[in-house]
Amino acid sequence: MARRLLQGNEAVLLGALRAGATYYAGYPISPSTEILMRASVHAADHPEFRFLQAEDEIASANAIIGASLAGAKSFTATSGPGFSLMQEAIGYAHKVGVPCVFVDVQRVGPATGMPTMPGQGDILQSRYGSSGDYTSLVFYPSSVVECYRYAVEAFNAAEESLSPVVLLTDAFIAHLNEVVDLDAIEVEVKERTLPALASGQTRLFTGVLVYADGEPATADADEYLRQYEEAKARRLTIAERYAFHEYGWNTEAETLLIAYGITRRICQPLAPHFALWRPVRIWPVLERELREVAARHRDIVVVEGNDGQYAGVVERVLRRDVARVPLLGGRMSLEAAREGLTRLGLLAAEPVGATGSAT
Amino acid sequence: MGFKDKLKEELFPTIWCPGCGIGLIMTQLSLVMDELGLDERNTVLVTGIGCTGRMGGYMDFDAVYTLHGRTLPVAEAIKTVRPELKVIVVSGDGDQASIGGNHLLHTIRRNPDITVLCNNNEIYGLTGGQAGPTTPQGTKTVSSPAGTTTTPVNLQGLVNTSPHAFYAKTTVYHQGALRKAIREAIAWPGFAFVDITSQCIENNGRRIGFPSANEMLMHYKREFRPAPPGSSALESHQLGIVRGTPEERAPAGVAAPSGGSPSRGEAGSGEGEE
Repeated sequence: MARRLLQGNEAVLLGALRAGATYYAGYPISPSTEILMRASVHAADHPEFRFLQAEDEIASANAIIGASLAGAKSFTATSGPGFSLMQEAIGYAHKVGVPCVFVDVQRVGPATGMPTMPGQGDILQSRYGSSGDYTSLVFYPSSVVECYRYAVEAFNAAEESLSPVVLLTDAFIAHLNEVVDLDAIEVEVKERTLPALASGQTRLFTGVLVYADGEPATADADEYLRQYEEAKARRLTIAERYAFHEYGWNTEAETLLIAYGITRRICQPLAPHFALWRPVRIWPVLERELREVAARHRDIVVVEGNDGQYAGVVERVLRRDVARVPLLGGRMSLEAAREGLTRLGLLAAEPVGATGSAT
Repeated sequence: MGFKDKLKEELFPTIWCPGCGIGLIMTQLSLVMDELGLDERNTVLVTGIGCTGRMGGYMDFDAVYTLHGRTLPVAEAIKTVRPELKVIVVSGDGDQASIGGNHLLHTIRRNPDITVLCNNNEIYGLTGGQAGPTTPQGTKTVSSPAGTTTTPVNLQGLVNTSPHAFYAKTTVYHQGALRKAIREAIAWPGFAFVDITSQCIENNGRRIGFPSANEMLMHYKREFRPAPPGSSALESHQLGIVRGTPEERAPAGVAAPSGGSPSRGEAGSGEGEE
């Protein structure tokens, strides 16, 4: 395959296929629908790849869990309202330890919101959306080529951590077309780890807290803690292998600008004015890396497509005030970012006549 | 060998209340599994939340105890990925007809080759006896003190919206009919649903006037009658099986992308598409 023009959603699908995915279930929802459509087209020509357009996102999420237990690398793609419907199943997959991948192409919410406009409002939902305590691995690419690369990494991390991994994108990246050469991207693909159903064992896969023999442990706090700590330790250990992040731009600048996903691309023209830190692994938070980088800068500002979801996380990790530039209502543009940074006094006002798009 | 090999007897006694009907279903299922040579390498159980869902833990198979109402998408996906396996779903009326109702509606349309055994005790037993989707109208329960006002779900009518589906009605009293229904359902090439009327003495029966589980079984004995041979639909309190026309399918491994079965139009063309 040579250089070609590729859309973000399509890159996610190709990355999943590169990772060895053989099962997709989903329900149409903007702006993720191209992934579902491309998966159906792929299935038509590749009988080993199975596709289900399910009745809703609840069925989709549970179907990929069943498919994974049966032995297939599996995934689904959705957007905000659908991602909300999938949360119960995500909790189940965490509890049972099912490797699978949930792609959330973010739009402006809550509820139906602004279905075709980009947002980054699911940062906290991707971490805390289901009931109870669990440890999530979440990646967020910034380009079409990264949609491909981190789709592969999401499957790898799912296999290694035995958990559902979330790949966040947004309406902007999903529909962005960029020239890429996928052959030039080196990826490693992890093999399946969980023995498939009916391989001779008699296991009970259950969301209920049970002992090893299947007997309920539903009133045993010690057993709960043992299992919880074991799952948490495994996921945190595996997450260390996926500590993707970026630090650059003007590292001598006083202000550290934190942006992730498409927002990092939007802010690119501001590179001379700021140092940049970009987490690709959104969860677990790259706390050590963040502290090291933050210590070098006087001010910190988070530019993001929500009202301070990640900024609050950064404040908690650093225990210091963090400035916020929320890009809301789908207005994810350089102008909006400039405006917010200028208002905070972190950027000089633009000379008359200059526009964001000119840079 | 024997049906007891299908059970994890070391975990007995079960959690089910004395007099519960679920054990009668588990016994018949074990007997049929033994007859048909189903074991942990060719069969997977999928169960849903409710008392019935606990059956997976008592049987010597890989079992997936799903979220409440989600047995069918899980089971269908397992069958899609592993067409060589028998996939048997066991859950209750609340799981299948209420919280999982939308999945039932659409799984019937897709007609995957899976078997559903529905323990239809007409009540939410695990949570203490609230009205369920199949509770007869007028029944007083702990969530309907003046009697339920709603029409129960018509499971037969729902399942038979598909021309290809298999629907059997039986009770736990009629053990021979129950075994036959389970056996035929497992052999059926497509979606098969066994609707098993069963007693919940502790959280329903006693409250509606039955002094014991045995009296509930005797009630089933008196009330239910076999349907005349060849019936295309069962009336209330008739035992029997309504079989659709098996759907023509592409050979395993080249099934249509919609999760394993060609659409009705494609099936009508006679040939499996390659």
